Amino acid sequence: MTFQKMSRVLALPMALVLFLEVGPLPVAHAALVSTEQVIQEGAAAENRARVMSFLAREDVRSEMEALGINPAEAAARTQALSDEEIARIANKLDATAVGGDAIAVIVGAILLLFIILLVTDLLCLTKVFPFTRCPSK
Amino acid sequence: MRRLGPLCALLLVSALGACATPQTSRILAEGGGLPRQAEVPDVPFYPQEQYYCGPAALAMVMTWSGEPVTQDDLVAEVYTPSRQGTFRNDMVAAARRRGRLAVQVGDVRSLLAEIAAGNPVVVFQNLALEWFPRWHYAVAVGYDLEQREIVLRSGTDARLVVDLYAFERTWGRGDYWGLVVLPPERLPATADERSVLDAAAALERTGRHRESGGAYTAILARWGDSFPAWMGLGNTLYARKDFSGAAHAFREATRRQPQAPAAWNNLAYALAAQGRHDDAKRAAEEAVRLAPESAHTYRDTLRDLSGPRP
Repeated sequence: MTFQKMSRVLALPMALVLFLEVGPLPVAHAALVSTEQVIQEGAAAENRARVMSFLAREDVRSEMEALGINPAEAAARTQALSDEEIARIANKLDATAVGGDAIAVIVGAILLLFIILLVTDLLCLTKVFPFTRCPSK
Repeated sequence: MRRLGPLCALLLVSALGACATPQTSRILAEGGGLPRQAEVPDVPFYPQEQYYCGPAALAMVMTWSGEPVTQDDLVAEVYTPSRQGTFRNDMVAAARRRGRLAVQVGDVRSLLAEIAAGNPVVVFQNLALEWFPRWHYAVAVGYDLEQREIVLRSGTDARLVVDLYAFERTWGRGDYWGLVVLPPERLPATADERSVLDAAAALERTGRHRESGGAYTAILARWGDSFPAWMGLGNTLYARKDFSGAAHAFREATRRQPQAPAAWNNLAYALAAQGRHDDAKRAAEEAVRLAPESAHTYRDTLRDLSGPRP
């Protein structure tokens, strides 16, 4: 199977998965901002700050360098992730007591997310990274 | 194959033996900053009718919290006949629909601390085994660290005293799921700001504006700078048409987070409702200025409030 054929076969299920993950966009209209929205936005900002400060930690940076990841690049890419993706990483931070092993687990999880987004970028389903280009176009 | 039975049982017993009760052990060793014993007085007892442990447990804490109900009142709201049982989410929802603040408790120390603070806790247990579950709801009302005991209202026992280790195992197999059900203006002793905010907002969504307003006020008494609580208080006052109270709360929110467009947006509505159209327009402009790129909602607000008016 050629890559093009394969991407055509995979495109629909991948798109579905992405749609289900992200969900339909909320319809904007003029109204009071609900308390729940306020709470969610606050939590999202908090999660982002937690993940970013985790990535900035000295032991985490050295772990990333050992895995061949440029910490500055990782931070830049993490900023590009959606609130929901950040929440997933933050959950991992919560679930694991952050010791030596846990760092590798979390760095691995972040890496996996990058790889998934990279693949979906290459299938033209997403456009997260500036350096990706759709191969078929 | 028949000979495997006892072997499995043996393996299982040793596995259970290995499954320790780390939380209880730590509390017994270190005290966990808890009183040595405590018991909540005045928690009524409703002996459970067949399969109705969920409704019975909830009815006890609801009645204790000042909202008298019987288990039969709650059956329609929480009992699922096809499963002969009660889902945990339905317990939470039923408490909120009746205007109570329902917050989860998820570890032994918090459970005991709630009891020490005078709050009974609904606990979800698996009395049997992982692969052969017997789910059960009870109400934890007391404990004694010296005797290593916990006191439950459970099934048809008004005062069932259980070894704390045994309890932790059964509760742990129920995912350490516990629930405090309180009058809205009384906060759980152990909950963090986020979980009480979530509980108050859920109460607000069911249309219980007076009760959720009470909860936000209580949250502000403990966390005075809570931006979401000021917003929630404003939203509930607005819903009850107390527009000057709402404007005050939203104004406080803008003081806590001057960069948050949501606070200016809502302030604009509260001001407009009082007929203060110029102030309202200025607040709406501030929201648009702060969030020019995601300004759909805020621009619409500004357009609405600047439009022709009677």
